Amino acid sequence: MKMSKILTFMRKNPALVGFIVLFIILSIFTESFFNISNIVNVLRQVSITAILGFGMTLVIISGGIDLSVGSIFAFSAVVMASIVKGGKVLLGIIVGLLIGAIMGLFNGVVISKGKIQPFIVTLATMAIGRSLTLAYTQGIPISIFPNNFRFIGRGDILGIPVPVIIMFGIFFLVLYLLKKTKLGLYIYAIGGNEEATKLSGVNVERYKIIVYTISGLFAAVSAMILTARLNSAQPTFGQGYELDAIATVVLGGASLSGGSGGVLGTLFGALLLGTINNGMNLMNISPFYQDLVKGVIILLAVLLERSD
Amino acid sequence: MLLEMKEITKTFPGVVALDKVSFNLKENEIHALVGENGAGKSTLIKILGGIYKPDSGEIFLNGKKVEFNSPLDAKRHGIAIIHQELMLAENLSIAENIFLGKEFGSPLNLNFHKMVEESKKYLQMLGFEIDPQTKVSKLNVSEKQLVEIAKAISSNAKIIVMDEPTATISEHETQILFEIMKELKEKGISIIFITHKLGEVYQIADRVTVLRDGKLIGTKNIEEISSEELVKMMVGREIKEMFPKYNKVQDEIILEVEDFEVIGYVAPVSFNVKKGEIFGITGLVGCGKSELALGLYGVYRTKFKKFIIDKQPLLELKSPQQALKAGIVLVPEDRKSQGLVLLLDVVQNITLPNCDIFAPSLNIKWKKATETTKKQIKDYNIKVSGEHQKVKNLSGGNQQKVVLAKFLLKKPKVAILVEPTRGIDVGAKIEVYKLINNLANSGIGVILVTSEIPEITGLCDRVMVMHRGKMIEILEKGEITPERILKAGTGLVENV
Repeated sequence: MKMSKILTFMRKNPALVGFIVLFIILSIFTESFFNISNIVNVLRQVSITAILGFGMTLVIISGGIDLSVGSIFAFSAVVMASIVKGGKVLLGIIVGLLIGAIMGLFNGVVISKGKIQPFIVTLATMAIGRSLTLAYTQGIPISIFPNNFRFIGRGDILGIPVPVIIMFGIFFLVLYLLKKTKLGLYIYAIGGNEEATKLSGVNVERYKIIVYTISGLFAAVSAMILTARLNSAQPTFGQGYELDAIATVVLGGASLSGGSGGVLGTLFGALLLGTINNGMNLMNISPFYQDLVKGVIILLAVLLERSD
Repeated sequence: MLLEMKEITKTFPGVVALDKVSFNLKENEIHALVGENGAGKSTLIKILGGIYKPDSGEIFLNGKKVEFNSPLDAKRHGIAIIHQELMLAENLSIAENIFLGKEFGSPLNLNFHKMVEESKKYLQMLGFEIDPQTKVSKLNVSEKQLVEIAKAISSNAKIIVMDEPTATISEHETQILFEIMKELKEKGISIIFITHKLGEVYQIADRVTVLRDGKLIGTKNIEEISSEELVKMMVGREIKEMFPKYNKVQDEIILEVEDFEVIGYVAPVSFNVKKGEIFGITGLVGCGKSELALGLYGVYRTKFKKFIIDKQPLLELKSPQQALKAGIVLVPEDRKSQGLVLLLDVVQNITLPNCDIFAPSLNIKWKKATETTKKQIKDYNIKVSGEHQKVKNLSGGNQQKVVLAKFLLKKPKVAILVEPTRGIDVGAKIEVYKLINNLANSGIGVILVTSEIPEITGLCDRVMVMHRGKMIEILEKGEITPERILKAGTGLVENV
């Protein structure tokens, strides 16, 4: 009885279990994994995907999908970078974040008012966003920013890197939203049964729009961190990030059909993916195999979860 | 004996679904299988259909022992199951559905012509005149059932199991189905017929088997058992009154509509509902009664000259939010697809439409919501393991009570209940009937949309009968008889 309870828990939290197993293995078999500076390093790298994943968690729980986060990431990064480079740091950040939110808002409005599949709408936004990015930069990276902007990516407060602080800030914000607010309840309800939610008098359209707007905004936050860290915004930023974001959510135990999942799972999903990358670097495994390992782990996690 | 199931036992974690249940079926027999929800009917059928394997017990077909390892196995032995939720490919034609998995022609070059011709043969056997190339999505529920039956006959089924086939079709269509069942019986096909409607058992069945709490209570020839005895066997106690009626209609009008039109569905109707009244709306499937109900709740596009609720005129009605704000609630027809979020728990489901109480700002006061839910669980006599149980794990009757509890918490002025007793057992039905009376007595105007004639004659003060999107007439108290309702509902009364 007790054994089966443990097994059920493991099935429901594949990311957590995978992360712990990997953590132990790496701590034993490599010398450089288990020390503070490496772990802080992993966290810093993970923050980019995790923040995208937090937005994606909301979208997926609501029964949708957002393929455009990578392009939103890129476009808000380059616009932000171009303004910041001119010295207007705060303005650049505000405009960059606004662009993310507005592109998300656009997704949400078309999906809910136009009653079109989120997959299609965000696929279109993905293409549009990428094209806007390339046109805006003419394909040339924008680099070298003032120090106070770079602080967002490279600085630390009390020894904790700023990206990690932002990541946990957003984590707790989303956790709170999902558990304590009606926005959270409505997101679960819409994903679980949109029709019943509508008949319960919930303005389903409005809340869907909010969800995609948040996803776009988080993509811009994530873009800000990477831009500041690399001291450069690349027009090719964010390619494939939507898949990483979806992977973190799925590893976290959410169902793509909506109505279930949570942000804690996503955090561990992101940690698992980050640890895989870090571990493979430490073990000197060719980067060519990294995606292969990632793919296999995603499949294993999902199979484990389904094997009822 | 065509089929014998001997001492079948099946347990699921924590429950004994079937406890040494035996069941048999003769040749040329219609055998009714009845029992309350959770009695074990579905489990027994799923074992017969090869979906579940029994823990112990044996199955014999024509005296030979058989074992089914998969649904396909059972099918090969001539057993066809027509589930309540029909299993048809909506986007394929009738012919393609009938021959799905046993197509004519080579896999790379299907012989559609032959399939259409063969389908015609089977459809004609059922007296169903239709082009077999019609898409299934264009058919109504009763027509889809006929396609399922044709599919069963085409695979040479000797036993057809029908799981509550009459739950979602009208009285008139039920009679047509019964004629077909009788013909099938004469052609040598035996039928196991599951139903919640006892009148039907007497109309069509040769024998009846009653299950209760996973146990066999008995099998009787239909002539040997009175309906009182049958109900007693099912619920294990005597039921004094099926339709309690103790509501008092007040003089004051709570809802009045004039020329209310649901665009594309219902022609303009005018009517009023008084405080404390139970106002029925009925008619055949497709008559527009559900659309009228959803229209009054702001789901469909509507037009009206007048819409007065509790003396306040309503200017526009475009969404359920507006209807709720005006004091109208609707308890929808299909609790699983419209009434509940099955993945969420009882507290969350009850909170969903009541965020104006529990979440005046963004934050939900979960403590208050939980307290209120506990009270609702008690008031509505909902059987749960706890208020945080997921609603998908509740029985049908208890799910329906959660739907009622979540909407009625809003203290409405008008409550529209659409088929509130569909697919729930006798005991739960009576509780719902009492609740409807209590609602009316608290001064609410109750609109009861139902296709169950006994509910109308038993509960309603007045009833509107509809046919093909039009109101035919409103029958007053003294005029409500099954004959009048059927006559108006089949369009035999001229619209004045």
